[in-house]
Amino acid sequence: MTFEDAQKELEQIVHKLETGQADLDDAIRLWERGEELYRLCVGRLESAQGTIETLNPAEPA
Amino acid sequence: MEAVQYGDRKVYSVAAFNRGIAEWLSRLPSVWVEGEVTELRRQERWASVFFTLKDPSDGACLSVSMPRRQFDALRLDLVDGERAHVYGRPELFETRGDFRFRALSVERFGLGDHLAALERLKRKLAAEGLFERARPLPRFPRRIGLITGNDAAAKRDVLTAITTRFPPARLVVAETYVQGPRAASAIIEAIAALCGIEDVDVIVLARGGGSFEDLLPFSDERLVRAVAGCRVPIVSAVGHEQDTPLTDLAADARASTPSVAARLVVPDADELRERLEQSRGRLHRAPLLTVERKRARLDAAHGRLRALAPTATLERGYAIVRSGGRIVRGSEEVAPGTTVDVELGRGGFGARVEDLRE
Repeated sequence: MTFEDAQKELEQIVHKLETGQADLDDAIRLWERGEELYRLCVGRLESAQGTIETLNPAEPA
Repeated sequence: MEAVQYGDRKVYSVAAFNRGIAEWLSRLPSVWVEGEVTELRRQERWASVFFTLKDPSDGACLSVSMPRRQFDALRLDLVDGERAHVYGRPELFETRGDFRFRALSVERFGLGDHLAALERLKRKLAAEGLFERARPLPRFPRRIGLITGNDAAAKRDVLTAITTRFPPARLVVAETYVQGPRAASAIIEAIAALCGIEDVDVIVLARGGGSFEDLLPFSDERLVRAVAGCRVPIVSAVGHEQDTPLTDLAADARASTPSVAARLVVPDADELRERLEQSRGRLHRAPLLTVERKRARLDAAHGRLRALAPTATLERGYAIVRSGGRIVRGSEEVAPGTTVDVELGRGGFGARVEDLRE
């Protein structure tokens, strides 16, 4: 799952819960899913180490 | 080419060697060569004029000769330092073994001509729709390709801008020529190499600023086409904005500084973090909200239910009169002498109807 997709789903869940579109049982399930998505996103941001590689293109003829 | 055989050694005379080379050279096609005209030598008693064509970017020289009458007929009045396009073919001056470019035609190619040629190319490419590309840039590129010259400062500026804004950024840097005659092909190769990496989602072409000359490769038709035809969006990042080489027009986005380029290709990590924390805060409050909302609705329903219950009405002083188990709503339902049952807020009593009012 990409960061972007996870973030989007998290925000959809928040919206759903805030507007009361979910019944109580669903709300608990959504809450857990939202928490999971939050952890996934933060993990991506914090743990992913940026990399800089150098490409050596073929010497121009 | 005839050679004399000395044992196992084949030996050519100078004349034979030169003739052989001259013959080989004569088979090469005629081409156009561009350079600055220098050391122009013309004398009435010479059959040819001579000049040197110099490459302004690195000083490479080419000796050129041209039959004097043909040269005079062009009425060019070329002076040293002028830019020219020379059409001709390589030739060996056999008696001296000197290599020369034998000119068949010369055209002055000044800055004005250059601009005009660029303008024509621009119109042609624009008509093909090459300058209308503005594909959306990925918000979260998996990898970012960076094409840059070996100018350490320019490269560092772009890398720093990107990694500061988004530390988890993954970059592949292709260092290449960004100036001089080899730049266009070198950049085309770099684009192809970066496109060959599956998860490169966007390419930043950091070309730096420069003189009109420096930027010429960025108006090379092949490069412009390569940029327009690139599999992933290309951001052209430049030092100065006053000149717009055609590559800029074909790119999907232009950035006037490294930080603008960074803003285009990566999200702001701090902003993302803040947004995530906000979402989480709201997420934590949301279930409470759900319970409270449901509780409030329940309370409201309960209140309405209570308001509708007859006991509350009776408590306010009203009474219910029943006759034969049915509620009496009008005086016509009873007659004098009918016994009725009266229910009050507290208790009740039996009664007999005395008289009726309409």
